[in-house]
Amino acid sequence: MIQLNNVTKIYPNGAKALVDVNLRISKGEFVFLVGPSGAGKSTLVRLLFREEVPTRGQVTLNGRNLVRMREREVPLLRRTIGVIFQDFKLLPNKTVIENTGFALEVLGVPAKEVQARTRSVLDMVGLSHKTRAFPGELSGGEQQRVCVARAIINNPALLVADEPTGNLDPETAWEIMDLLYNINKRGTTVIMATHAKDIVNQMKKRVIAIEKGRIARDEEKGAYGYEL
Amino acid sequence: MKRKGLTGMSFSSAQYILRETLNSLKRNPWLSVASIVTVMVSLVILGFSAFFLANASNMANMFESQVEIAAFAQTNLSQSEVLALEDRIKSMPQVASVELVTKDQALLEFGQSLGGKKGDLLSDLGGTNPLPDKLTVKANDPQEVAGLAAELTKLPGLETVSYGQGVVDKLLPFTRWLRWLGAVVVGAFTVASLVLISINIKMNVFSRRREIQIMKLVGASNWFIRWPFLVEGLILGWVGGILAALIVGLGYRWLADYVQMTLAFLPMVQNSALFWQVLFGLIFAGMAIGAVGSAFSLRKFLRV
Repeated sequence: MIQLNNVTKIYPNGAKALVDVNLRISKGEFVFLVGPSGAGKSTLVRLLFREEVPTRGQVTLNGRNLVRMREREVPLLRRTIGVIFQDFKLLPNKTVIENTGFALEVLGVPAKEVQARTRSVLDMVGLSHKTRAFPGELSGGEQQRVCVARAIINNPALLVADEPTGNLDPETAWEIMDLLYNINKRGTTVIMATHAKDIVNQMKKRVIAIEKGRIARDEEKGAYGYEL
Repeated sequence: MKRKGLTGMSFSSAQYILRETLNSLKRNPWLSVASIVTVMVSLVILGFSAFFLANASNMANMFESQVEIAAFAQTNLSQSEVLALEDRIKSMPQVASVELVTKDQALLEFGQSLGGKKGDLLSDLGGTNPLPDKLTVKANDPQEVAGLAAELTKLPGLETVSYGQGVVDKLLPFTRWLRWLGAVVVGAFTVASLVLISINIKMNVFSRRREIQIMKLVGASNWFIRWPFLVEGLILGWVGGILAALIVGLGYRWLADYVQMTLAFLPMVQNSALFWQVLFGLIFAGMAIGAVGSAFSLRKFLRV
């Protein structure tokens, strides 16, 4: 499903974020990206939804070449990918239901359908009782649930998460992981960059460790492997 | 999802865009007011400089149209020779018009101005008319007056050719300067208003950059993001344009009346077609500036 061939990313300031990375991820996999801060995890994640374009090499997603992709095709790509952020990226002046439905509204989905799908997805993440609340009135875990709901409302084939539990306490983090686990069970590929050692060790999923822009380790049912 | 073409428009999208526009106007009422005032002030200045340009150019035209060449025929020419001379001058390419005042007419007018009766003056002068036939020549372009006068001097049958050399030589640089000044004023204020307005729109876009970023990340097309800003810019520009047109329209009317009463020798342009053109131009310019300015300021933020 995802393929990276000899991908190198050098930022304009000269920082080498990724060096000659080769990677293949199949449909339905659950993959942890681990490694020290600044190792290139976030850059790799950003390549997948084309927030960044590699300096050299090719990135393919579902047979589509993301490097040669034209600018106006990018929105179409992003509609097939759900993205979850460490800082949630919710709009403060929109309610829970508006924030979630946003992802459908920008695609021109009729209001009725937006309503129905938003309710069902908020039900799934356990927020059906707080649809009228604003993000500021929610706890961190609840905000992240809204973010997850927004990411999966389009039934994406791929869910990308950049440190989704980074701002949450361990218990709330596990609630989010349960959500991601269930989403993955239903066939969505999940790629998650994280520093959460306990989560990685207990989930026993594929672990890809990145150090200084290179893949240092790639194990099925792996462990976090870093002592902090 | 099916594709909705380049602009990403459908009925629900149009609804969304309208709602977003209204929300944004409600959410930042002071930014909206600031934008309207900026557009208004810029357009008021622009409108008045347009009228200044029109008046400057009108005044220059008027001064220049008064420049004419007086050519006097030799007194021994017959009536038909004078008429032939007139035709010859008319056929010259630089000539706009020729007006012939025959010696008889001139004598008549002269006599009337002295208060005498017809024929009296002629007999007093001993039966001969000392006045020459006069040809008043106007050039197509006032700049060519000097050259034309020189050419006329060479024509056989013409005696004296004069065009008020001193006045023309001073007047022409002045009118040229007047037109330039008008154009420079309009140009400078156009640039200034564009800068002011684009700063304002950038603030608006900047205050919503987070929203734009999220829209990009969930796969909104660029046009879908652009539309609410365009509509908002259009509305703000339209309101600003109307206010500016009111101020400029009423202001110019008042100014024109005032000048007419106090400085009657200073002609103000009172062309109502031009008047409405400028006012509607202001409204249209407001809308265009608002919409184009929004789209332009967005470009940077759409590259996510």
